[in-house]
Amino acid sequence: MIEITCNDRLGKKVRVKCNPDDTVGDLKKLIAAQTGTRWDKIVLKKWYTTFKDHIQLQDYEIHDGMNIELYYQ
Amino acid sequence: MGSSSKKYKEKECRKRRHRSPSYSEEHEPPKEKRHRHKKHHRDRKREKPKHDYESDGSDVVEIIPDDEPSGSGQNSESLSIDETNKLRAKLGLKPLEVHTSEKSDKKRDDGKKKDDWGEFYHKPAENWADKAEREKLRAKLATAKEKRQMELKMNRVKTLGDSDSDDNVENWVDKNRKIDLAKKEAEKRAKMLEELDEQFGVSEFVENEKREKRRQQYTEKNLKGLRVEHDIDSFAEERDVVLTLKDKAVLDEDDEDVLVNVNMIDDEKYRKNLENRKKRIVYNAYDDQEYDKYGNPIDKSLLSQYDETIDGEKRESFKIGHDNIAERRQAAVQSIKEKLAKKTLESIETKDLKLASEYYNDEELAKFKKPKKKVRKIRAKGKLTADELEQQINNKGIEEVGSRRPKIKPDFEDLNIDDVPDIEIPTDVKLEDDKDDILEKALHKARKIKQKENLVAQILKETPVKTEPEEGLDNGNIVLNATAEFCRTLGDIPTYGKSGNREESEDLLDYEKELKNEMEVDQSDEEEKTGWNSVDPNEPHEVAQIAPQEVQILDEEPDVSTGLGAALKLAMSKGYLDKEQMKRPSNSRLAHLQAKHYSIEDKTYGDEGERGGNRRERYTGPIMEFKEKDTFKPNVKLEYIDDDGHVLNSKEAFRYLSHKFHGKGPGKNKIEKRLKKSIQEQLMKKMSSTDTPLGTLNMLQAKQKETQSPFIVLSGNKQSQSTVISKTRR
Repeated sequence: MIEITCNDRLGKKVRVKCNPDDTVGDLKKLIAAQTGTRWDKIVLKKWYTTFKDHIQLQDYEIHDGMNIELYYQ
Repeated sequence: MGSSSKKYKEKECRKRRHRSPSYSEEHEPPKEKRHRHKKHHRDRKREKPKHDYESDGSDVVEIIPDDEPSGSGQNSESLSIDETNKLRAKLGLKPLEVHTSEKSDKKRDDGKKKDDWGEFYHKPAENWADKAEREKLRAKLATAKEKRQMELKMNRVKTLGDSDSDDNVENWVDKNRKIDLAKKEAEKRAKMLEELDEQFGVSEFVENEKREKRRQQYTEKNLKGLRVEHDIDSFAEERDVVLTLKDKAVLDEDDEDVLVNVNMIDDEKYRKNLENRKKRIVYNAYDDQEYDKYGNPIDKSLLSQYDETIDGEKRESFKIGHDNIAERRQAAVQSIKEKLAKKTLESIETKDLKLASEYYNDEELAKFKKPKKKVRKIRAKGKLTADELEQQINNKGIEEVGSRRPKIKPDFEDLNIDDVPDIEIPTDVKLEDDKDDILEKALHKARKIKQKENLVAQILKETPVKTEPEEGLDNGNIVLNATAEFCRTLGDIPTYGKSGNREESEDLLDYEKELKNEMEVDQSDEEEKTGWNSVDPNEPHEVAQIAPQEVQILDEEPDVSTGLGAALKLAMSKGYLDKEQMKRPSNSRLAHLQAKHYSIEDKTYGDEGERGGNRRERYTGPIMEFKEKDTFKPNVKLEYIDDDGHVLNSKEAFRYLSHKFHGKGPGKNKIEKRLKKSIQEQLMKKMSSTDTPLGTLNMLQAKQKETQSPFIVLSGNKQSQSTVISKTRR
């Protein structure tokens, strides 16, 4: 289990517990459940890389305690 | 999480304590703080709330999310694991792997280090000491294992000391007996089986099968005619050699199978490599004969070193079954024979030692003796007469006549024709032995003269007029003949051959001189009779011969008497007549034939009135057809004349024009040369044809008139001249 912090710098900051083998889509759903936004409106970024839904977190080398930028589309 | 939050609280507290009262909102305190701050402003006196804040602030702080990496005071929610799991279940995801995470946590504690950003785990560096230790242990274990195995093996083998079963004789006998029994039983059983087979006819069947098999076997017979690609000598006798079929290209068309032995092929290759490595020099500067290993000369073709590359390698081969031993043996014998034939046998015996003598014995002398020249009879006699000589020469034949080239001979003869009566071969000439050649020359000459003499005599006999030249000969007096004298002077031209174009005659002269020197002593009394005389200043009667000789200065004059052409030629050369190279009737010469009333105006189309009339015609062109004037033959004579008025020939004209064109005249030397040439030409034209340019002939004639003598003395002092004159007057 890893815990990831997602921050949209607009007042929402969520810590989400998830597995490393979850996909980014799964993470988005969890975030959506916690923040109350629709998951398909969420965009996750780290610097300029936009994470794609079908790829696992471990493949993006997302580890415990990492911060991910949260955007909306 | 709890620990971290506690830490945070402590930090906060410290900050509070250090903070000065003027500390502003720049630090972005949480909302509650701000709120409280205002309150604080509102009721300053109250000190308690600060403590309150501290106390119930801790509750607040606990609610506030613990980590704030960006420093913004935003909330971040975090569900507990259970809640998350529930949520995940709703979303259709597997529950969180709490255990693994714990494990990973543990791992994190186990010496694995995060990097500076806390994101990546690094693989710990290898511990070399550990590795070495592991290696050591492994080696130790391996050796132990090996030892164990060895021991096991050793245990299986019975040592001499250990064996106890065979020690006992009875045991041993029993054992052997058992083996024997077993053998016998086996034999019995085989017999029984055989009997059974016979009964059922199986054995015959088996026998037939065996025979069949033998027939089908691949034997020596099948190998007959196969070619083996090795030298037959390379097979050692009484040894088996396994031959295999040689590899062939699939598309090869010749079907012949070739047998080879792989090892022998390798051997051959090795030998060849060795040969190549020797680096034989191909170039054989002196074309020496080369020999093979048996000492027989090898016939080599041209550039034989390339034969192998062009024709492919030659391989020795033989056919199985085709036994050509006899042939080979014969060849070997032949080669040995040849070798023997070439050898020179040398005996071991040495010659007997002999005392060396200082002198040659007769045999040795015979070896060194020169082949004797034919001894002539002349020498033996010492004296010889003309008759004898003639006889001798006739006997000898012409080929021995002399070394002089035949080309010269006629000249020689001609010169001597008129001298014939003067010459008599001296009968008492003594000749030195070593002057054989010279003698021979003389003999030849004498013979020639004799022959001429005979011929002349014959002619004289035939002719009715008798001048009797022989009488004079007999008397030894000099008879001067007019023609003879003339011819002599002709023959005696001193410049003859001096110009270098007559080497042969020069040679001849030299030779004659020599000859004369040789014979001078003997012939001094007859010297004046020969055609070739040495000038002796003491003898006055010789003078006449020298005087009238003239050096030719001018070209040969054409003989005027032969015809008009010759006369014209002479005139031309003398300049009496001008040579006209291009004799064409010039315009000026034909002027009387030209129209008298002729003006250039006639050539125009007409007068002005006419012209004005058909002005249009001018533009349309001539109406009449243009006719070539057949009769119009203009006389064109191109003549160039230079500034001095000389007519130039084409070459000179070109030069003149060229100089004019380029604006650059000829050099000073060239001009001078040309001037000289022209002057000379003019002089040549003016020159008299009968006299030298210096007028010597005139002078001579004048002198002769003065002296009233037909000769003139060129050399000598005044006195001698006067004496001569006086003589003539006498």
